[in-house]
Amino acid sequence: MKLHNAHKTCWNCPAAILKGNVDFRACGQSLEAIRRRIEREGLLIECARLPDLGHFEPTITFEECPEWRPTKYGYLLENMRVMILGIDGYLGWTLALKLGALGCEVSGVDCFLRRKMVRELGTDSVVPIYPMEERLKAAKEVLDIDIKFREINILDREKLGQFMREVQPEAIVHYGEIPSAPYSMIDCNHAIQVQYNNVIGTLGLLFLMKEICPESSLIKLGTLGEYGAPLTGRPLFEGLFPADAVLRWRGREWSLGGELTPRDPVSFYHVSKVQDTFNIYEACKYWWLRSYDVMQGVIYGVHTDEVAADPRLRTRLDVDEWFGTVVNRFVAQAILGMPLTVYGEGEQIRGFIALEDAMECMVRLISSPPEPGQYDVVNQVSGLHKVSELAETVARVAAEFGYDVKIQRVENPRVEADYHPFEVVSTKLPNELGFTPKVPLEVEIRRMFELLTQPHIVERIRKVAHLIRPRTWWSGEKKVVETLEVYRPGTRRRRGFKPRLITDRERFPVSKVEEVERAVEAIGGGEGGDGNKG
Amino acid sequence: MEIRDRDFDREVLKSELPVLVEFWGSWCPPCQKEKYILEKLREEYKGRMKIVTINVDRNPRAAYRYGIKCVPTYIIFHRGEAIHSDIAAKSEGQLREMIEEALKKIPNQL
Repeated sequence: MKLHNAHKTCWNCPAAILKGNVDFRACGQSLEAIRRRIEREGLLIECARLPDLGHFEPTITFEECPEWRPTKYGYLLENMRVMILGIDGYLGWTLALKLGALGCEVSGVDCFLRRKMVRELGTDSVVPIYPMEERLKAAKEVLDIDIKFREINILDREKLGQFMREVQPEAIVHYGEIPSAPYSMIDCNHAIQVQYNNVIGTLGLLFLMKEICPESSLIKLGTLGEYGAPLTGRPLFEGLFPADAVLRWRGREWSLGGELTPRDPVSFYHVSKVQDTFNIYEACKYWWLRSYDVMQGVIYGVHTDEVAADPRLRTRLDVDEWFGTVVNRFVAQAILGMPLTVYGEGEQIRGFIALEDAMECMVRLISSPPEPGQYDVVNQVSGLHKVSELAETVARVAAEFGYDVKIQRVENPRVEADYHPFEVVSTKLPNELGFTPKVPLEVEIRRMFELLTQPHIVERIRKVAHLIRPRTWWSGEKKVVETLEVYRPGTRRRRGFKPRLITDRERFPVSKVEEVERAVEAIGGGEGGDGNKG
Repeated sequence: MEIRDRDFDREVLKSELPVLVEFWGSWCPPCQKEKYILEKLREEYKGRMKIVTINVDRNPRAAYRYGIKCVPTYIIFHRGEAIHSDIAAKSEGQLREMIEEALKKIPNQL
């Protein structure tokens, strides 16, 4: 049984020096000097990690290459240099520790914008987070992880460029964006701030990658919300139409395979993500950059083994109306004895994924770089749920912890359909990257109750309780939403559409994943990534 | 089946069967997707038409030789000669039509 990326070759490897060796676009835009050399000598490249190889044919597979080591998440470059933009955030910090534990050389930048924004709004992370200096010290003390950190705003291209030149990243994870739909809808200034930071930050990054590290891959956080919820009910494909999609018009037909699918963003924040998508798509096309655009579902949870290892390593958790995601907010409300706030009918369907599962997906994407010039999209989601069903689930788990929870329907401040079809395609992570979700919804919610019911955290939740109920309307109004109905869990009849998640998992079933993990353990390539090829 | 520069003569020019070659690039999303359809047609046309793909960046000699200016480009070869060429990504129906048209030019293959 082979690991999912065993067959990938130098063409996927960030250490392969392609620039100056490969005549990309052998379709009329070729460089004459390279062309003449290739005609004379054939196509040969060099390796940045193994310069002694000289010029060689780029056909070495990850399985064969001594630089790629087996881990339970696939072959991973030894001491792979991964740079995380937004390393102080909910996801950035969590991923930094996970990658560090796998033996990657982790670097990261942050300008602490998120910490400033929550202060501006009078809220804070309910899980205490430590200053970066303390975090870095604890990572070294507890997990023996060294993280190279710089305080840099990604809009400062000069400083970011200097750091990228110093680190020479082999993969860049871009979490350095403002993440909130309601924050972008507060007013004009906030909408402009979100779009400027996100769109211009990403565009500048693409130019820097072209100059400094064109062979590294960009793993960019997008969101399922880029697609919206099309009322035709057509599936949300993974960014590009599949091979057999066809456009028929006036008796003629054309293939749509590989074309970008329509986007229908649902806030000015989501528009910024769509704009990023187009900028990245173009940069891949113009400069042979390679990228995974990750359409992540709504994320929830608090746990990975690394962040749970010490209180100083915990990642942030927000529950206010701007930065709190729905499950996180419901758990906070349950703990305070507030009825859980479901917007409108609560029949809205969204894709979700637990923090721990999302981190595993990111590692698998980092370990499996796209091909030169390839813009690819993955829908990173482990389950589809109606908001009202999530409230029922949180209420059920809350009861295990002794909380008697009610649910309330409130006015919906957003512009969205109360009832809508929702069908999501997510076939790449399970089939091409070997991912199987491991964290059921209820398990993660239990972990959240275990952490958030600690007295010092309950106290912190209490301090921001008045900011959980929304007051930011898509219409521009500022008024706290009113309650429409309060009901006990299990008493409301469900209507609306049944969601459908298409994974085509048969090519890489769960049993195969377990088989791979056992095989990796047998050759000593566990979490530490220190296995050898035997 | 993905072929390389070094296989081109054997797999394409010296093939007993007519051969549909798709020239593609990793930076071309429609090319990436079309592989799945070509895979399906390869089975369907087994014994009548061979279907192969070749990456233009990894195999520049073939790309130079046939003056590839756009991907995907399709060329159908028979006994070493290009008997049909076309450009732009195709639907399954359009590909099947292209193959059938080419086969009509080769009576012995019907």
